[in-house]
Amino acid sequence: KLLDLRRLSTHGGAMASHLQARRHFAVSRCLTAKVPPERKPRERVEIPGLEMVTYGERMHYVPGLSKPVHPQWERDYKDPRHYRSPPAHEMPLYKEKPCYVYNQRTSALEGVRQALWLTKTKLICGLPPQLLSLAESPANQIPDQDERVQNAIKHARFWDTTEERPGKEKYSNTLLLNLLHLCATLQSSHPAIGRRILAEKYSLAATWKRGEDLFQIRGQNGLLQNCMDPLPEVSGKQEVGDTADHVLETFYPVSPTIDLQKVNVYKEMNCSGFRGDYPYPHAHTLYFLEGADPRCKLRPEQFRAKMFMFTFGNALVRAHNLYGPQRVLDRPVTVQAVGTNGRIFQFMVFQLNTTDLSGDDGIKNQVWLDEDVELYDFAKVRPLIKKKQVKVPAGLAGYKPETFSKFLALYLHGAV
Amino acid sequence: MAARTRLPLLFSKNLPPFKNQKLAHTEAAVKEPTYPPIVPSLTAKSKSARGRQVEDHVKKICASPVDEKLSLITRIQRKKFVVYPQTFARNADRWYQHFTKTAYIPGLPERFALDPEKRTGVEKEESSLPAGAQTTVPGVEIDAFADIRSLVTRMILQEHWHMKKRKPFLYREQEQMVGPFLRNLVTGLTYSLAKYNPLLPLSSLDIDPQVNFYWRRGQRIIPKGHRRGRQEPTRFQIDDQPHSQIRITQQLPQFTSLEASYAAEVPEVAFAPNLMPLFRRQYDNNIFTGAKLPDPACYGHTQFHLVPDRYHRDRMARQQQSDQVEVFLRANGLASLFAWTGAQAMYQGFWNHEDVTRPFVSQAVITDGQFFSFFCYQLNTVALSVETDANNPRKNLLWGTESLRLYESVQDGAVVGLNDDVVKLLVQFLVNQP
Repeated sequence: KLLDLRRLSTHGGAMASHLQARRHFAVSRCLTAKVPPERKPRERVEIPGLEMVTYGERMHYVPGLSKPVHPQWERDYKDPRHYRSPPAHEMPLYKEKPCYVYNQRTSALEGVRQALWLTKTKLICGLPPQLLSLAESPANQIPDQDERVQNAIKHARFWDTTEERPGKEKYSNTLLLNLLHLCATLQSSHPAIGRRILAEKYSLAATWKRGEDLFQIRGQNGLLQNCMDPLPEVSGKQEVGDTADHVLETFYPVSPTIDLQKVNVYKEMNCSGFRGDYPYPHAHTLYFLEGADPRCKLRPEQFRAKMFMFTFGNALVRAHNLYGPQRVLDRPVTVQAVGTNGRIFQFMVFQLNTTDLSGDDGIKNQVWLDEDVELYDFAKVRPLIKKKQVKVPAGLAGYKPETFSKFLALYLHGAV
Repeated sequence: MAARTRLPLLFSKNLPPFKNQKLAHTEAAVKEPTYPPIVPSLTAKSKSARGRQVEDHVKKICASPVDEKLSLITRIQRKKFVVYPQTFARNADRWYQHFTKTAYIPGLPERFALDPEKRTGVEKEESSLPAGAQTTVPGVEIDAFADIRSLVTRMILQEHWHMKKRKPFLYREQEQMVGPFLRNLVTGLTYSLAKYNPLLPLSSLDIDPQVNFYWRRGQRIIPKGHRRGRQEPTRFQIDDQPHSQIRITQQLPQFTSLEASYAAEVPEVAFAPNLMPLFRRQYDNNIFTGAKLPDPACYGHTQFHLVPDRYHRDRMARQQQSDQVEVFLRANGLASLFAWTGAQAMYQGFWNHEDVTRPFVSQAVITDGQFFSFFCYQLNTVALSVETDANNPRKNLLWGTESLRLYESVQDGAVVGLNDDVVKLLVQFLVNQP
C-alpha cells in the first residue's frame, strides 16, 4: 500500500498525494537527528629543522608516527560533479573596484528614499493628471465594470480551489491575471492593445555610475508587458527643466549603498533580457507580486523600492539601446509599474529624463507614486463575529471602484 | 338439496357480463386506498430494506438544490480508482473509453472542416476569391487572419529566439520553454478574436486551474473481507490540471443530436481496471470545473494542455513507443474533457439518476510546443453506474485529430514552415459560439 504511493507520484507527475508521511525503509539508522558539527582536523605544527617521521612508507598506521602529508591531487579531466571554483581574485572578471548590485531579493533599508537617491529621481505623490482623467473618461470603461471586477475578485479569493480558500500567493497571482484579462478584453475597441505581449522570467541587467561607485541591477523580477510603440511622455519639457532645482534627500549617516550586494567579480552589461531584433522593444508596464518569491518577504516600503529599481533598470537599458550612454534624453523614456499583494496596490509611473547620473545636480528623473491603494476591504469566507455581533460579513466587503479605474488607466496609457 | 347443488360451469361464464352491462358508460371509479402502500422496511437487516434506503437517498438527492446535491453525492469517501489523464499505460485510450462510455470518431465535426474546397463551395463570401488565394476561416477577414498569423510567429520567436534563457534543466524544458509560449498564444488569440466571438470578452481565463470529477461505472464482487461475495460499484476520480482554460457564461451548441450517438461503438474491456495499471486510493471526492458553483462562467469552452517531458514524443521514440504518442494524446483529451463536461453537467444539477437533457460540449487543444492535437467532446450521458446504464442507449462522443505540426523549426530569427491549417483550426476553435 505504502509503496504504491511512490509509484503513483511518477504516474501523473504532479499528482503525488501528501496524505501519508514519506516512509523510508532502505536504511536502519535514525534519519531525523541533528547533524553533528564539523570536526576540526588537528593542527599540524611545522618545526624548522625537525623532520617528521611518518608512517607513509610503511603503508599502514603506526601509533607514535605522524600522519604523512601528500601533495594535492588535481584531476586531469573535467568532472562537473567535483568542481571547485577558484577564489574571487583569480576569476577572469575580477575587478579592483567593487560594484553594488541590486537584485530581486534585496531589501533596501531606507526603501524608496534610498532608491530615489540612487537613481537621481524626484518623487511626486499621486498619479499624473493625464492618467487620472483617462481613468474617469467613460469611453475607456469595460461594460458592467464593477460587477465584473467584483466577480474577478471573488473568483480569485473564493472560487478558485476545491478547498475552503486559496492561499495568499495563489490568490494574488489569480487576481492579477483576472484583472489583466478584464483589461485586455478591451482590445476590440482599442486595437493598439494588440501590439503588446507579456513576458515573464526575463533577466534584466543594467549598469550606471553614481558619484564614485558603480551600481548594477540584476535579476528576474516580475511580469513585463512589452509594447511595439513607446509610451508617451508624461511631463513636458518645462517640468523636466524644473527638476534641476530639486535637492535629493540624503539620509546621513546611512550610506546609500546599504543592503546592496557588494561584488568584485562582475561584468558591466546592459541587457533588457531580449536580444536581436525584438518586435516589442519598449517596456510598457511591470507587474510585481509580493508573494512571488517565498524566500524573500519584503515589507511594503522595501517592496515599493524594488518595484522602483526594476522600473528604473528597464528604462535605463532601453535608453542605452536607443540613445547611447551618458546623455540628457530629448525624448524621455516612460515605464509604468503595478505591485500588489492581493488586496493593496501600488501604482508607479517613472520617467527617465537623463542617463547622466554621476553628479547630484542637473535634470532629475521623475516618478509618480500612488501607494497603498486598496481594492477592497475584506474578503472573508466566514463572517467576523465579535461579541455576538457581525463586524465583517462573509464575502466581499468594501469594494472600491476607483482602484480598478486607475489600473485600467495605467493599462490603456499609450493605447487610447 | 338446493345449497348443495353445484352451479353449472356454463352459468359461471355468464356472470362477468352482468357486471359490465351496468357500468358500460361510466369509467371505473378510482378506489382510494384505505391502507398506505406496502413498502419494504427501512431499518430491517434485509436486502429489500437496503434497496429502500438507496431509493430514499436517491429521492433525497433529486429533491435538494445543486450544492447540496454535490455534497451528498461526494460525501462518503471510499476506495476509488484514480484516473490520470496523462498516463504511461499502454492503449490507455481504449480503457478510458470503456470507463467513460465514449466513442471515438477520428477527425473533427463538420463545423471545423479543414478542406478548403468544401468551405468555398458552402460559403458564398469566398466565391469571389480566385482558387489559389489564401482562404481563411469564415467570419474572419483575411487581414485579421494575417495579423493572427504574424502574432503566432512573434510569439514563437519570443520564446525560442529573442528571450535570453539558460539551457533548460532536465525534464523542465516544457515548463520553461513551451509553457510561456502557450500562455501568450492563448491570451493573444483570445483577445484578438474577442470581436468575432461575443462570448470571449465575458469569459473567464484560468491559468493552471484544477478540474476534478467523480463517477461510478461497473461493479465487481468483493473478493475478501466481511463483505465478501457482495457487489460493489467501481468508483473513479479524475484530478486534472490543464495548462489553461476558457470558461464562458453560455453553453456551446451541440455537435450532433443525442439520438445520433446511439449508433456509436464503445470498446468494451473485459479486464478489471487495476490491470491497466490503475491504482485505488481513498481521499476527498471532488467535482470541480475550475471555479466553484457561484461563478457565473460555469460552462466550458476550450482547454489547453501541455505534454509533459516524460511523455514527449522524442522520449517515446527513444523507448520505441512511437505508436503510443497518439494514444497518449487521445487518452489525455478524453479524460480531461470528460471530467470537465461531467463537472459542468453536475453543476447544472444533472447526475447519475437524473441524466442530462441537453448535451454538454467542450473543446481541447493538446500540444508539446510544435505538435498540436485538437479534440471536441460531447457529453450525452452522465448515467454510467450499473443501475442506470442498463437501458441507456446514449454514448458520449469524442472527435479528435492526429497531431499536426505548427512549424518546422526556428532558424536565425525566423520561423520556418508555419502551417496555416493549424492556425486556422485554432482560430475556429476559439471563435466557436452558439
